[in-house]
Amino acid sequence: MDVIIPVDLWGEDGDAVIATWLFQSGELVSPGAVLAEVMYEKASMEVTSPGAGRLTILVEAESPVRQGQLIGRIET
Amino acid sequence: MTATATATATAAPTRRLTIAKAMSEAIGLSMDADPKVIVLGEDIGALGGVFGTTQGLLERFGAARVRDTPISETAFIGAAVGLAAAGMRPIVELMFVDFFGVCMDAIYNLAAKQSYFSGGHVCCPMVLMTSVGGGYGDAGQHSQCLYATFAHLPGLKVVMPSNAYDAKGLMLSAIADANPVVFMFHKALQGMGWLGTVPGSIVHVPSEMYTVPIGRAATVRPGRDITLVGLGLTVHLALQAATTLAAQGIEAEVIDLRSIAPLDREAIAASVAKTRRLIVVDDDYRSFGVSAEVIAGACEGDVDWLSAPARITHPDVPIPYSPALEHPLLPSAAKIVEASTRLCHDKVE
Repeated sequence: MDVIIPVDLWGEDGDAVIATWLFQSGELVSPGAVLAEVMYEKASMEVTSPGAGRLTILVEAESPVRQGQLIGRIET
Repeated sequence: MTATATATATAAPTRRLTIAKAMSEAIGLSMDADPKVIVLGEDIGALGGVFGTTQGLLERFGAARVRDTPISETAFIGAAVGLAAAGMRPIVELMFVDFFGVCMDAIYNLAAKQSYFSGGHVCCPMVLMTSVGGGYGDAGQHSQCLYATFAHLPGLKVVMPSNAYDAKGLMLSAIADANPVVFMFHKALQGMGWLGTVPGSIVHVPSEMYTVPIGRAATVRPGRDITLVGLGLTVHLALQAATTLAAQGIEAEVIDLRSIAPLDREAIAASVAKTRRLIVVDDDYRSFGVSAEVIAGACEGDVDWLSAPARITHPDVPIPYSPALEHPLLPSAAKIVEASTRLCHDKVE
């Protein structure tokens, strides 16, 4: 399963930044768990887990991200 | 355990929060439970706090209870003391502890003394939450800790979490307290991204109400050879050092103070009675500080020291702006390893 920044998370067409990952690569995560916080124009938004499994982080914290971008994978 | 976690046995039963979110959650739960709880401060409304301490509260509770104030700490912290005397339970944010100068009379002459001077007839149930710490090049007026400046004053309780679980529990204890509590939070642990975040500060936080008692330290790593005492960020530096030391055969016990005032002298005494070696790691200025108080308290007990206690602190100069100057002055895991190895010289080949 792909962990993707939702395409409508902040609406406008601009870069945000991953403020922090709440889990590390290799950890098991639950469906709906908040995996990361994303900051856009000083507002904080959450990226949740699409399913259960083991997380692999593809884009590290403090990196710029766009809506729709793949930032991690979950292996069941 | 949450219902989701129970149903999904293979997945981690965790609900992780940053300290910022944990503080916001504690304040929100208290505001739900008690209409007397209100929040005041600069940018704590629509922005949710520069350090994320009031996220989502304006939307839930409205501008009458979540009040953005003008940039006058003198006015709004004074107002909080008055609100508390009149029966409200204000939580007020001093954005950077460095800004205390213009509001200290309200804090130490009014809030801290209210209960004493009124013979206990008027209490002061206010929480002053404030950011501390440097390490990100914000210079000497936005990077200080000043733990001891506040902890020195009778009538003030001072707490600081090293992780999100303690942040929520300490905040709920602080709000419930009948007297003023200074709730310090370290910028490097806050989870705001632009300051970096120590991963160890992000932990499982239950969604319901619970408290962490004020005045109780936590032993976050047991060990027999040396006691490392830290608070906030320096707990994580001590834990990192302990991992390195373990590979050299030195087992460090790490104590997280959690409360600066009152200080948990019993926990420190119990640990040094076992290890007979002590290092205090404190990112505040060196002299007259928390490190000095912890060491003095330990030395007042009857300890047969194997080495003289030591402290790792910021030196007695204003915190520099340049990273090339600032970083070498702050405590680090490497400094803790070096000092611990020196104190445990009889254990190391």
